[in-house]
Amino acid sequence: MFGKNCTEALGVLLSDPGSQIWHWANLRLANGHVKSTSMSSVDTSNGLNEELEALALKNRARAIGVALHDLETGFRFSLRGDRWFHAASTIKVAILLAVFRAADEGRFQLDDSLHVRNRFFSAADGSLFRVTQDRDATPELYASIGRTMKISALAHAMICGSSNLAANLLLDFVGVEYARTVLREAKVDGVELRRGVEDHGAHERGINNEATADGLLSLLSALRGDFLTADSKREVIRILLEQRFNSMIPAGLPAHATVAHKTGEISTACHDIGIVYLPEREPYVTAILTEFDPEREGRRETVAAISQAIYRSLLGTESKTNEN
Amino acid sequence: MRTDFLQPVDGLHLPEEYRALLRPGESEAGNNGTVHRLPRFFFEIGSWEEAHEIRLAPHFTLSELMLVDCREARVLLNQFPHYVPCAILLLARFLEDFRREVDTPVFISANGGYRSPTHQIGGAKSIHAWGTAANIYRVGDTFLSDAKSIGKYGSVAASLSPAVSVRPFGHEKGQTSDHLHIDLGFVSLTPRECSEAS
Repeated sequence: MFGKNCTEALGVLLSDPGSQIWHWANLRLANGHVKSTSMSSVDTSNGLNEELEALALKNRARAIGVALHDLETGFRFSLRGDRWFHAASTIKVAILLAVFRAADEGRFQLDDSLHVRNRFFSAADGSLFRVTQDRDATPELYASIGRTMKISALAHAMICGSSNLAANLLLDFVGVEYARTVLREAKVDGVELRRGVEDHGAHERGINNEATADGLLSLLSALRGDFLTADSKREVIRILLEQRFNSMIPAGLPAHATVAHKTGEISTACHDIGIVYLPEREPYVTAILTEFDPEREGRRETVAAISQAIYRSLLGTESKTNEN
Repeated sequence: MRTDFLQPVDGLHLPEEYRALLRPGESEAGNNGTVHRLPRFFFEIGSWEEAHEIRLAPHFTLSELMLVDCREARVLLNQFPHYVPCAILLLARFLEDFRREVDTPVFISANGGYRSPTHQIGGAKSIHAWGTAANIYRVGDTFLSDAKSIGKYGSVAASLSPAVSVRPFGHEKGQTSDHLHIDLGFVSLTPRECSEAS
């Protein structure tokens, strides 16, 4: 019913408190209870393990890391979930958590305005750097340079459009140290936030944002749990649901699934992490991280295939995917 | 030019909540050891609509010179009246001269006009707290974000008066990298109807 590519329709539905998707999302958010682990979890785990290893081999992935938590059964799965990857844009979910935590603490209000400027300082040596408009998925944001934008709008642009400018502005505003403190307080291990994005000077010195699949899974769990206020939690999930890039996790799922997620891609990394909502059951949370040789084709398709394999293993059915 | 809305007030007569934030007439030591008195006389602005309507110079409204972000003190950000130092009239006059010289629209950035002494950027040590400084981020279609454009328009601004100071391009202290900073010094203005007797 609700294709992942129909973001406009989804936006309308989400704005309607009576919409079925929103009802599912709210229902799952409100329900911390999970059913007991299935007796067949060992089989599921072994089968999924084999299938994912085969997919990685077939698609010539240099490495994959997958973590999964099914809230329907309590089933947990981790394939090299402790391997560190360059976080790419999945790190923006950590920034999102910090921004909303800061708002919950009364440090500012989400509808406050922030000065938009493209001027940042490297985590390596404090040297000046700027993010490039042609590499940003939300070039329209650059029209606001010199003016102000609401923090909520920047958060939306950072996630839905994966804006590097918005990410750096928000991280610059709350501070790297504060964001790291928030991750610690939320008990998120396996996510190392060290700098803003496009900080090439820091990259050359090996100062990167890194994450494990297990870490990103715990980050998503923190967003769903009681770490944020109910209002913030609802807003964070709403933003993730409005993701514009849907060629990975959602592409491996049937049309009636909705996904609150965030992708991340750089030259060698291709990731997607998200919460998958299905009308007939509790959601599942997954983090799919992959690493390829630069310029290798079929990276997103590999993540979509992993997503499809996870779905099949949990629901025991062949999925008719959204991939187009 | 509409300035009939401008109501000068003596900052010393403002409610305590505002005096604590604006610190009218108080001495402030700069980073280099110089001491200056913060502005004492302000214009009282009743609303954003008013600020948009008040033209301090043909091409500059008051709102352009008082736009701040959430780094400003909450009281001065969200509730009216707002208070801006009277010397902002001189800044607007200078900006008009600059605009005439470059013959194209001149854009002042957010946080680039008046900021209160409690603003998180610069605080009371910043000359922006006198209302006599402006950060120009764009001239016509040119964004001032490199040495060439900042140098070019900095020279134009400096040529207009020896009272004007501009900052060079760079990202060290006292330099700018995404705007042109111009200021007229620590100028305070006492409206003729106001008395400086405390």
